[in-house]
Amino acid sequence: MKQKAPLIDALLGLIAMAGLIALYAPLVAVAALSFFQILRVRGVMGFAPFSLEPYVALIANGEILAALATSLIVAVVASLASLVLALMFAFYFVSARRGFGLMMQVMVFLPFLLPPIITGLSLLIAFREIEFSRGLATIIVGHIVFIVPVVYRTVLVRLQLLGGSLTEASLDLGASQAQTLIHVILPQMRPALISGVLLAFAISFDETLITLFVAGSETTLPIRLWAMMRVGFVPEINALATLILVFTAVITVAIGLLQRSPAGHAS
Amino acid sequence: MNPMPSSARSGPPRRRGIARDLLWHGLNLGLPLLFVVLPILSFVLVSFWTLKDGQIVHVLTLANYRAFFTEGSYLQVYLSTLALSAQVTLINVVLATAIAVFIFRRTPRTRFLILMSFMLPLFMSYIIKIYSIRSILGQRGLLNEGLLALGLIDQPIEALLFSRTAIFIALAVLYLPYAILPIYLALDRIPANYLAASADLGATPLQALRDIVLPLGRPGIAAGAVFTFILTFGDFVTPQMVGGTQGFTFGRIVFSQFGLALNWPLGSALAVILLATTLLAVALAGLTLRREHVR
Repeated sequence: MKQKAPLIDALLGLIAMAGLIALYAPLVAVAALSFFQILRVRGVMGFAPFSLEPYVALIANGEILAALATSLIVAVVASLASLVLALMFAFYFVSARRGFGLMMQVMVFLPFLLPPIITGLSLLIAFREIEFSRGLATIIVGHIVFIVPVVYRTVLVRLQLLGGSLTEASLDLGASQAQTLIHVILPQMRPALISGVLLAFAISFDETLITLFVAGSETTLPIRLWAMMRVGFVPEINALATLILVFTAVITVAIGLLQRSPAGHAS
Repeated sequence: MNPMPSSARSGPPRRRGIARDLLWHGLNLGLPLLFVVLPILSFVLVSFWTLKDGQIVHVLTLANYRAFFTEGSYLQVYLSTLALSAQVTLINVVLATAIAVFIFRRTPRTRFLILMSFMLPLFMSYIIKIYSIRSILGQRGLLNEGLLALGLIDQPIEALLFSRTAIFIALAVLYLPYAILPIYLALDRIPANYLAASADLGATPLQALRDIVLPLGRPGIAAGAVFTFILTFGDFVTPQMVGGTQGFTFGRIVFSQFGLALNWPLGSALAVILLATTLLAVALAGLTLRREHVR
């Protein structure tokens, strides 16, 4: 057990508390403002009574809803595609010669290690060079490139912990490779697959810096919000921000619990 | 350990095996090559081209790099962005280390909960976090309105938003969790009996912190510093959203070359410089760690 040191702990606790306040106060403020709008009566600030007006306005805002739909499509396609690719890369890493595996791994990790601005503009230039016009497809590719490393890491850790005995038993008993994959290997990896896909979804849904480069006329929600905030203030933004915060918080807590559950303990 | 035996082992006809092997290698090495490595190479190549009368001239030249050093305020903005990122990195690493040590000193049961609450904002919408920071710092923001209402000021403080300080605060808040995680993970690896032994031998908690916890946490601290630096140096949306015209950082200059200014070769060259700077930061961190190790 660690020694007691009340003075140090109090000091550190104070810093930690300040950190939490700095992280959460803005979020809480936005949520509060979505229910209680700021009023100004003769130059003095006050709050309007509780109202769901911004939420009603949100539902009527077609631009935001269209962007939300785009974001959902992109996030679903990108996270599922990333899962398939990440599985493939993970199998490759454990089965191919070490040099090949490491080569693949370095390349796959690059977009996550480099600043997003680099990944974004290099994709933009590459698409331009092959004269592929920007649209939904380029956004999805941009997201996949950025997400795969995260899912790959989650999946690989689990795969390496599996060990080969069940797989060998399955193959010895006459199951084909495909049957072994579907009935033996994947079920054992379920927690890693689910948390990988959730993580991918959350990152894709939020991705801004790469998307700004590869998006054409069709934009995702963060880009739409970015454009709206530049122009000025719209009360719907507070409502939307609150909904998104709640939504991402739920996904994140779900991932956290999955990673912690006994079955998913490996990751 | 081999969960997926290679096709050679399960024994399909030889010829099909070779074709399958080729496809397998091709997919796994070809896709990353095509979608990651080639785009990076292509942007490095474009940085050596030039733009003349709105047309890209496909002749290799160092003109864009020369422009960085001689023309306009590129170098000046680069240096001030470097300073800004370094300041954010410094304050965040200090805060994150304190917070990581705080979490580390809790009981295992509460550790997860506290860590989780520091990590949660990491997954929350980046653009909304910037927006919410703005709604506090803005001219019509909560801070100004609150101070006005309390009668502490009679004019909104404009410098709260659209200033270098605002960018500094926003970046620090946005990227704090990225520094906490690696530092905490490094501390988490310290064997408990090291601390028990040091206590038995009469070390005070402060001595244990200085001589055991912090030295062993070094790799995490270096990683946290590198993450913070890379992310803040390359960020071009935060400075624009909270910095306004004051917040002209290097990342924004790069981005603007692909938007309004529309000079891709120059933008690529500036991006190569940005990339080289972040790689240098990684190398520097690695070097410090190695020297510590040898000593």
